[in-house]
Amino acid sequence: MDEIAAFLIIITLELVGGKMREAFSYFLLISGLIFWAWGTITILEKRSVLYKLHSISVSDTLGSILIVLGLAWRGGHKLSLLILAIISLALWNTMLGYVLAYCSNEQGGKKLDG
Amino acid sequence: MILHLFFRLGIWFLLTSDFSPANIMIGMAVAFVLPKPPISFPLREWLPVFARGILMLPQAYKEAIEMMIFPHRYEGLQLEKVRPGRPDFLIFLDIFFITFTPKTVVIKYHKEGWYEVHKVKRHQLIIDGKQK
Repeated sequence: MDEIAAFLIIITLELVGGKMREAFSYFLLISGLIFWAWGTITILEKRSVLYKLHSISVSDTLGSILIVLGLAWRGGHKLSLLILAIISLALWNTMLGYVLAYCSNEQGGKKLDG
Repeated sequence: MILHLFFRLGIWFLLTSDFSPANIMIGMAVAFVLPKPPISFPLREWLPVFARGILMLPQAYKEAIEMMIFPHRYEGLQLEKVRPGRPDFLIFLDIFFITFTPKTVVIKYHKEGWYEVHKVKRHQLIIDGKQK
């Protein structure tokens, strides 16, 4: 167990600076892309609208957050805007997902015609 | 409640990313001048919300990876109980947290104290209350 702990500490120290930083950024970007690809493939399956909404929330919210996080991990002068982008991604994707779920429900909306 | 001031200042500094005295003054002025939100409830209602917000992110990624690895064949509606008469803002946060995790989506909030939640599952079939 001690070796594993020491290994994890070394990895963490390496992540703070050096080439591991870039490697971790690539890791985040690629996992975000995998999330996107999985979500997009799932939309094309024959499932209910709500199941597709679940998979969209995997790809569009969590995948996009991973990608922006991968960019933010590199630092730079646009870091604050990237953090703001992550916050608004989480907020708006979730709220609009709820709106779509509400509208897809048969009893959710009122009938407009008398 | 000072929390909304911190929230506004946080967004201001994230947008401008500038800590010069003039910018801090402008940010403070804007945060104070904007009308006060009509939200006021005791701190003990806030604490579980904060705790839930922090736990939500790893939970969401765990569920996402589970959905990607294992097939989730079953889906259905479930009613979740909530204390009636909760403040609107806390209801919003509840719905936000439930919808943020990929396996659950709130469809509707009933004023009597129920959330109608759509779930996907790996194993057992949830009996759909609406199919009679």
